[in-house]
This record gives sequence, structure tokens and C-alpha cells, in this order.
Amino acid sequence: MKTNMPSPAKVTSRDEWLAARKALLAKEKALFRELDALRAERRQLPWVRIDKPYVFAGPQGPCTLADLFRGRSQLAVYHFMLTPGSDHVCKGCSYIADHIDGARQHFEHADLAFAAISRAPLGQIEQVRRRMGWSFPWLSSNGTDFNYDFGVSFKPEDIAAGRATYNYGSQTIKSSEDMHGTSIFAKNERGEIFHTYSTYARGDEVLMGAFAWLDLAPKGRNEADGVMSWLRLHDEYEAD
Amino acid sequence: MTTHTTGTREEWLAARLELLDAEKELTRRGDELARQRQALPWVRIDKAYRFETDVGGATLADLFQGRSQLLVYHFMFGPDYKAGCATCSSIADGFDGIAVHLANHDVAFSVVSRAPLAKLQAYKRRMGWSFPWASSQGGDFNGDFNVSITETQQREGGVEYNYRREPAWQSRDDGGMANSMSGNPVADNAAMAGTDVATYIRERPGMSAFVREDGVIYHAYSTYGRGLDSLWGMYPWLDRAPRGRNETGVWWRRHDEYDKA
Repeated sequence: MKTNMPSPAKVTSRDEWLAARKALLAKEKALFRELDALRAERRQLPWVRIDKPYVFAGPQGPCTLADLFRGRSQLAVYHFMLTPGSDHVCKGCSYIADHIDGARQHFEHADLAFAAISRAPLGQIEQVRRRMGWSFPWLSSNGTDFNYDFGVSFKPEDIAAGRATYNYGSQTIKSSEDMHGTSIFAKNERGEIFHTYSTYARGDEVLMGAFAWLDLAPKGRNEADGVMSWLRLHDEYEAD
Repeated sequence: MTTHTTGTREEWLAARLELLDAEKELTRRGDELARQRQALPWVRIDKAYRFETDVGGATLADLFQGRSQLLVYHFMFGPDYKAGCATCSSIADGFDGIAVHLANHDVAFSVVSRAPLAKLQAYKRRMGWSFPWASSQGGDFNGDFNVSITETQQREGGVEYNYRREPAWQSRDDGGMANSMSGNPVADNAAMAGTDVATYIRERPGMSAFVREDGVIYHAYSTYGRGLDSLWGMYPWLDRAPRGRNETGVWWRRHDEYDKA
């Protein structure tokens, strides 16, 4: 629990602070407006019809992409990095997962269903889920094209040939067969399913509410030792 | 939903790549604002605030629990509320799981409200939350950080919320974060808190950040209204969904008050 950040430039009076704070507020408001515009632009993306019949393994048996909507017209999938046969549990994905059950109590009442999907077999998923105490639906795409089609898993031969790229080509994958991301799907009255959006890399950061809090803290994310180097699985922190 | 434009994978990808550039640009702008936030000057706190907590009376220093930074969520729960604000409750559902991460990164976290501790404890049990929640009842803390106003201030005006001076209050619908929403969010929230509108909006939502150095506590930052948007856990998900927030008023409820689907 060390801190590497310097003290602030100055300690000041309430009036001086207020003037600086109001100047920052104007910039914050400008960014809110731009974010609103960006969200509107995101909703304009065209949709791509999904014709491949993906089947996932879930605790209640096999289920299709359509089943994951559970009566809603929109579905968010979190691509949780869990590689078949590996005992490594991704800290960053777990950090995101710690936020999901709280949030989905609400957004699932706004016509948005949720599922986490990983390439590991179901038994491996269930083990992690029980350990971490999460209750969201979490399915296995093992043996399907799903993870590859949505840009979060990579074949060893593609990695070897330097053909495996992540986040729309911004990053070449050197070793990891699985990466993280979020994909959104929509279903119409005829039961057709469309892919509307996917995001990767820092695009998943807004799902980490704890970072939003740290961004308001005096020392910020305070990651001089490396991005998320301080982070642990929530049951692996030393007791106070 | 069915009238939405569809496209080929290639058409989608072209549009998506264009959007990605805009997303990356705003992510960088957010990073830059966080840097500017960290560069704000600090104001020394000399007042000896007192709180009631699960482990007894506490000072502001005690809320740091040995950390050098303290983040406070100002949860709207006035002494006359029958239940905690339902909107703050939906925000709290988003942050309940994160205190363990912050606590292990030199950041203490506490929710503070003006209702008496017993009321806060009962509501916290009902909602199943585990974050620390302190009562500031009887002290100046909420008033000094602009999240509670007295009946006199409400009647006479002149108080500041969200860095804006407010006129004397008349029955109207302008409760900070709620003023960008359609519908009647303040009245709906007041009803869910079991109180009238005037009583409900004598409390306001916000967050404040404090830092401690060599035994001295400083106030670093506060935000209100839409400044809390990034802390509201359900929105980053809805903001990626095709229909977005799709709001015509307050659709959310306390998590134990939704109709069983």
C-alpha cells in the first residue's frame, strides 16, 4: 500500500480552490456533452445479422444465443478471459466481474440481459464462479467459433504467424490465446439476432467503477508500478 | 427495433472503426481531466467533524482507516426520510463490491448521510450492503460540503449546490442530477423515500475526496449532479446497448422492489 505520488502543488484558501474547481467543472461538463454525443453516435451503428447457430454450455444445459436474452431484446456479453486447462484467473476480468452483479440488478430491468462467456469448459468456469461468489450467468463457448468470431480468442497458428490481432487491429497478439471484450446483441420480434457493437482493451474500462472513483481521488489511479499492478482477486488481499 | 439499419460485416466495421477513433479520443480526454483533477489545490480542514459509525463515534481522520485518501459518497438519507433515496440506492448497488479494491490501494471509502445511525444500519441490512456508512447527524459536515440545506436556507435561497447559487425554493422540479431527466424524477424519488418533495431535496447527492498528509486533512475535490454519472454502475452497460439509457423518467427501483419478472 505505498504511494508514489507527489503532494499537490499548493494548499490554498477555499475561495482559490473554488475558482480552480469551477474552471475544471466547465471542462468536465464539456466532456459530458461530448460523451452524450458519442453515445448517440454509437446507437447509430448498423447491425449485422447473426446466422451462425452458436450453442453454449451452461449450468442448465446447452443454450443458444437467443436463449441468453431471457425475454429481453438486448444482450450484453462480457468475454471473460479463461483459457481451457489454465488455472490462471484474469485479475482485470475479475475486477470487472465484481461490479456486474450489482449493476445488472438494475440494467436487466431496462431490457438488457447479461451473460459472461469464456472459452474454458463449464466445469472450470463453475469452479471460479463459486470461489468468487458471483451469480451472473456464465457460459462456456468451448468448441465453438464464438470467441474467435468476436475477436477475443486466437488460434496458436495465427499467433505464430503474426496474424492474430486484437481491438480492431490496434494490437498484435504475441502469446495470450484469450483476451477480454464486451459484445452487444439485439433481437427483433421475428427472433432474428444482430450484432450491434463490440469493444476491447481500454473500451472495457468504464465497466470498472472502482477506476471511476479513483479518477476522482487526489492521487488518481496511482499506478506508477504499472497498470493494475496493485490489483488482486478480491479474496487474495491481505487481511487488514 | 426492427427498423434499425442493418449492414454487412464490412459496412459495420467501417462505421465501428470511425467510432473507435472518437472513443479513444474521449478516453484520452478523460485521462487528461483526471490529471487536472489531481493538480487541484487542497484546502486544509480545521473543523473537528464527528460521525457515528458501526464501531462508535469517529472523526474524519478515523474514516481514513489508516489510508492516505478518503472518498465519501453523500447518500441522500435525511432524518425525516422513511427509506434511503432509491436513486442513491441504485448507485450504491454499483459500488458495494469495490471498497475492498480501493482499501487495498490506499483509498478508504465511506458513505455519509444525515439520518441517525440506527436508521442507516437498518436500511443497509435491508439492502444487503457491506460498505461503511457513517451518520453525520447534528454536525456541519453535510452543510459544509453542500449536500444538505436547512429549512431556512431552502425558504430564503442563496445556498450553493453543484457550484451554482440557488434562489429561494418553490415547488419545482430541479433536483440536480435529475434535471436532465424527463418525467418527474424529484417527485418520484420523494415518494419512494416516503417524504414530500421539499424535505426530499433538502438532501443532495455528491461525492467528496479528502487526503491526509502528516496528520493534516485536506479537501481535494467534490462533484455533484451529473458529475456522479460515471459512478452509476448500470449506465456503462446501458450506454453500449442499442437503445442506450432509453429513459422517460425514473424506471429504476430499489433492487428488492422490482416486480418479479
